[in-house]
Amino acid sequence: MISSHQRHFPRLKRIQNLLSHNLLLTLGLGLLACSSSAADDSNSSKSGDIARGAYLMKIGDCVACHTAVGGRELAGGLPFETPFGAVYSTNITSDKETGIGKYNYEDFFDAMHHGVGINGNLYPAMPYTSYSLLTDEDTKAIYAYLMSTKPIKQANRDNDVSFPFNLRFGLKAWNLVAHDAKIFTPSKDKSEHWNRGNYLVNALGHCGECHTPRDSLFAMEQDKHFQGAIIEGLEASNITPSELNRQNWTHGDLKSLFTKGYSRKGTVFGGMYPVVYHSFSYLTDDDMQAVSSYLLDTDEVIEPQALTFNGHKPELPGYTLYKGYCAGCHGQNGEGKPNVAPAMAGNATLDKASVHNVVAVMLKGINSQHYNSTTSFYAMPGYADELHDEQIRDLANYLRLTWSTQPGNLDVKTIHNLKEVILK
Amino acid sequence: MSQSIKLTINNQAVGPIDVADGVMMIEFLHEYVNLTGTKFGCGAGVCHACTVLVDDEQGISEVVRTCINGVERFNGKRIRTIEGHAKQNSLGEITALSPVQEAFLEHFSFQCGWCTPGFVNESTALLERLKRKPIAKDQVEKVIEDALSEHVCRCTGYVKYYAAVKDLILNTKGLTL
Ligand code: FES
Ligand code: FES
Repeated sequence: MISSHQRHFPRLKRIQNLLSHNLLLTLGLGLLACSSSAADDSNSSKSGDIARGAYLMKIGDCVACHTAVGGRELAGGLPFETPFGAVYSTNITSDKETGIGKYNYEDFFDAMHHGVGINGNLYPAMPYTSYSLLTDEDTKAIYAYLMSTKPIKQANRDNDVSFPFNLRFGLKAWNLVAHDAKIFTPSKDKSEHWNRGNYLVNALGHCGECHTPRDSLFAMEQDKHFQGAIIEGLEASNITPSELNRQNWTHGDLKSLFTKGYSRKGTVFGGMYPVVYHSFSYLTDDDMQAVSSYLLDTDEVIEPQALTFNGHKPELPGYTLYKGYCAGCHGQNGEGKPNVAPAMAGNATLDKASVHNVVAVMLKGINSQHYNSTTSFYAMPGYADELHDEQIRDLANYLRLTWSTQPGNLDVKTIHNLKEVILK
Repeated sequence: MSQSIKLTINNQAVGPIDVADGVMMIEFLHEYVNLTGTKFGCGAGVCHACTVLVDDEQGISEVVRTCINGVERFNGKRIRTIEGHAKQNSLGEITALSPVQEAFLEHFSFQCGWCTPGFVNESTALLERLKRKPIAKDQVEKVIEDALSEHVCRCTGYVKYYAAVKDLILNTKGLTL
């Protein structure tokens, strides 16, 4: 099982970077005026579909960040370590004193869409840059649900952020230059399914927070939307339609991956495991179909192609390494073992232009993953202490040559450089 | 395809032996060199019954599962299996058990004994580690738990294994501060 709750939060690295690289810059801009606009059409209605709000909360994965390890659900207190001290998630139960019970709908809308709480600006650990796309109707449903939660009295912890990073006007300035609150507008030339998927993926699922690279201000670079980024030593994959289609993901593969954690194209790992476990596995069938229509940019059926296996080449040095270290779990011919280890054949991690995750997984291993009483994956050991750079190179090249369409041309320098980033 | 494998097992040179392709280490121990003390449990890397020790040049050992690792991983290495722990005379008769083996007997740690080779190897590696780097007394339980937690035993409920190792660590000079 995941040993540290911190591992659930690949966004953490983003937050650290954001704080370290940009607050100084934005603090300088902090004296500029910043307006927190009120919600357009909000009347402090507490109506709304509580059940729908509960579902939306699941897909937005709010519990994951707003619950401390061993703490009461949604009562906050989970630390996000930054180089300047810890930022703690807040109590979002309906408690009037310590939670958000005294928020009216406008207050809540401002927090969700503009990152402005009633006590000041929120750190962008809260993905309001994505949530700003939420419709008014859904924001209301989430509000209604939160107001219906059992009030839990638990005071928010003061952030331990040191001067000058504790000055929240820096965040106002950041919002001014880096946060562009947009309204979600369905695309007319796409299907209803696709549009629903776009909304689920970009607004609620806030997938771009990890999968989209950031610019120098650490705002998502929209022209590189979903092209992948490095977080906590792993690469949040390129999930653009062109890349997913090149790898021959089908709607069924994505459904399997998001609901069960594994698929014909491999398993999720790193920060995606808790996302599947806590959130995506709850997607309704319709919404799942919508998500895959959007990600694959088609409603059409995609034919699964045969999984790549180019045959073994015993003369290559990687062959002996594969047989000695990998074949026991991943199969003599890379066919994998159900519930133990994914197949190499067809594995999407192998079949990427970037070898980052292949090397990261060899060095650091993968934590065990438990889904339910019939589905668990045992931990993969990391070999950072045992395999030297030449062996990692030989093995990575062998895996790519044997089970993917990628070339086996990595050199030791590439491995060495990757190692520095991965083991940092 | 076959390959030539050579290694040192319990201080004895073994091989070169021609081994077929795709042979896991446990199969090699059982079928090629007749060392059947290492037990096959789950065969999937979960129960840790099949662990052996792989020693590096400094004598620092790594605990490795033989059911999921091919014989190639052990080629040219020095390993210890359950057969190598007790002292033997020149006739191959056992003259003394290792301290870990003694402790497990004294504490009635095992019943069917299927998991025992794995526990013996892992606990031996732990003791050797503490000898190099002793720990505070109040850390002992945690360290034992960390070392043994992956080992599955279906008979005795673990307590007697853990108690035996704790006893042994606390009563062996130089392992704690
Ligand atoms: S038999 Fe090797 S781990 Fe279970
Ligand atoms: S003694 Fe029987 S499995 Fe442990």
